[in-house]
Amino acid sequence: MCEKELLVGYLYDDLADGDRATFEAHLRGCAECRDELKELRAVRADLASWSPPQPDFGFRVVRGGRDAAATDVREVMPPPVQSWRAWWTPAAGLAAAAVLVLAAAASLAHVEVHRGPDGITVRTGWSAFASAAPSAAGGSLGGTSPASDTGRDIRLASTSDAEFLAGIERRLDALEASSRDSGLRNASMLSARASDAEIIKRVRDLVAQSETKQQGELALRISQVLHDVDVQRANDLARIQQGFGRIDQSVATEAAAHRDLTNYILANAKQK
Amino acid sequence: MASTDEELVARSRTGDLDSFNQLVLRWERPIYALAYRTIGREEDARDVCQETFLRAFRALGGFKGEAKFSSWLYRITLNLCRDWIRRERRQPIAQAPEGVDLIELAGESAPSESIEDLVARKEISAAVARVMAELPEEQRTAILLKEYHGLTFQEIANMQDCPLSTVKTRLYQGLTVLRRQLERSGVSGGFRNHV
Repeated sequence: MCEKELLVGYLYDDLADGDRATFEAHLRGCAECRDELKELRAVRADLASWSPPQPDFGFRVVRGGRDAAATDVREVMPPPVQSWRAWWTPAAGLAAAAVLVLAAAASLAHVEVHRGPDGITVRTGWSAFASAAPSAAGGSLGGTSPASDTGRDIRLASTSDAEFLAGIERRLDALEASSRDSGLRNASMLSARASDAEIIKRVRDLVAQSETKQQGELALRISQVLHDVDVQRANDLARIQQGFGRIDQSVATEAAAHRDLTNYILANAKQK
Repeated sequence: MASTDEELVARSRTGDLDSFNQLVLRWERPIYALAYRTIGREEDARDVCQETFLRAFRALGGFKGEAKFSSWLYRITLNLCRDWIRRERRQPIAQAPEGVDLIELAGESAPSESIEDLVARKEISAAVARVMAELPEEQRTAILLKEYHGLTFQEIANMQDCPLSTVKTRLYQGLTVLRRQLERSGVSGGFRNHV
C-alpha cells in the first residue's frame, strides 16, 4: 500500500491496526506527510460547512389507482415550505409600491388630522399648522397666510363618533358589495372576449373603486385612532387631576404643620 | 425499540407499506442530501429523492440484502443523478448564493456562533459547492459518500465497481484539488486556522 492510500485511510480513521502503526511511525519522521495530513484535515473542516437545505419532506408511498391491491404507487408530497420571497408576487410588489406612494404622498401633502369641538378635520398642506403657531404666539412672523388659505380642510363629521363610524362602515359594506358584483360582471365580460378598450375601462373602474374603498378605510381607521386618543386623553386628564388634588392636600397639610411650628417658636420666643 | 432497516425491509417485502414508510422517514434526508450535493438543485434533488423511494419500493423484490439497504438506496440515487446530469447535458450546479442574506443567516446561526463566523461559513460552503461541482464525477461521489454518509472504503468500492485502492486514490486526488482550489479562492483561511 502506497503512502497516499495510507494517508487517506489515516485521515478517515479507516485503517487496520497494523497499517495504522506503520503509518504513525512514518509520520513521526516525515514532515511533508504531517503537513499534508494537516491540510487535508482542514479541507475536511471546510467540507463540513457545506450543508444542504432542509426541506419539509413528509412524502410517503401509498397505494394508488382503483384497485387497492395494485402494486402501483403514488407519492404524497406536500408543497415545500415557502419563504417570504415565494409569496412576493408582482401583485404584492405593486401593493407595496402603492403603499409607498401613498405614504410619500401623505408626507408631501403633510396630512394632519385634528379633532375639535366642531368635528374631525383632515388637513393637508405644509403651512397650515406651522403658520398658525407663531401667529398665536404674538404674530412676530407677520404676514403668514391663514390656515384656510394654504391648507385643504376636509370636515368628516360633526355628529357623534358612533354615528360617524356606523356611517363609514355602512359605506364600506356597500362598496364591497358593488365591488363583488362588478368583479362577477367583469369575469363574464372577459370570458365573452370583450375588446381591449372595454377591459382597460373595467380595470380602471376597479382601480377607482379600490381607491375609494381604501380612502374610506383610511378615514375609518383615522377616526378609530382619534377616538382611542380621546379616550386615553380623558383618562390621563382624570389621573392628572387626581394627582393635583393629592398634591394640593399634602401641601396644605404641610403648610399647616409649618404654621403651627412657627407659632410655637414665636410663642416660646415671647416667653423668653 | 426501533426496528432495524433489515426488519423493515423484510416487512415491506410482504406488502407492509407502513414499514416501508418508516424507511422513507429514516432515509429521506440523507438521500436528499446526496442528491442535492450531486446535482446542486433543490427542486430536482427533491424529485430524485422521491423517485429513489418509488423505485426502491418497486424493486424491493429484487433486493437480496447483500448490501446494506442504505447503500442500495444510495446506488439508486446516484444512478438517478447520473441520468439527470446526462439528460440535462450539463455539469452539476453549484447553488452558490450571490450575496449573503443576514436575516436568513441569523435564523441558521447557533447561539454560540458570531455573525462573522456565520458569514465565513456560508462563504466557505458556497466555495465548496462550486469546487465540488467541478470535480470529476468519480472523485466527487467518493468524497460525498465518505465525507457526508460515512461509508467505508469497501462500500464505496462496491458501489463504484472499482478496487479499494482506486477509491482511496480518488479521495486523495479529489481532496487535493479541493484544497488547492479553496486556497486559491481565499475563503477558507479563517476556518483552517481553527483546525
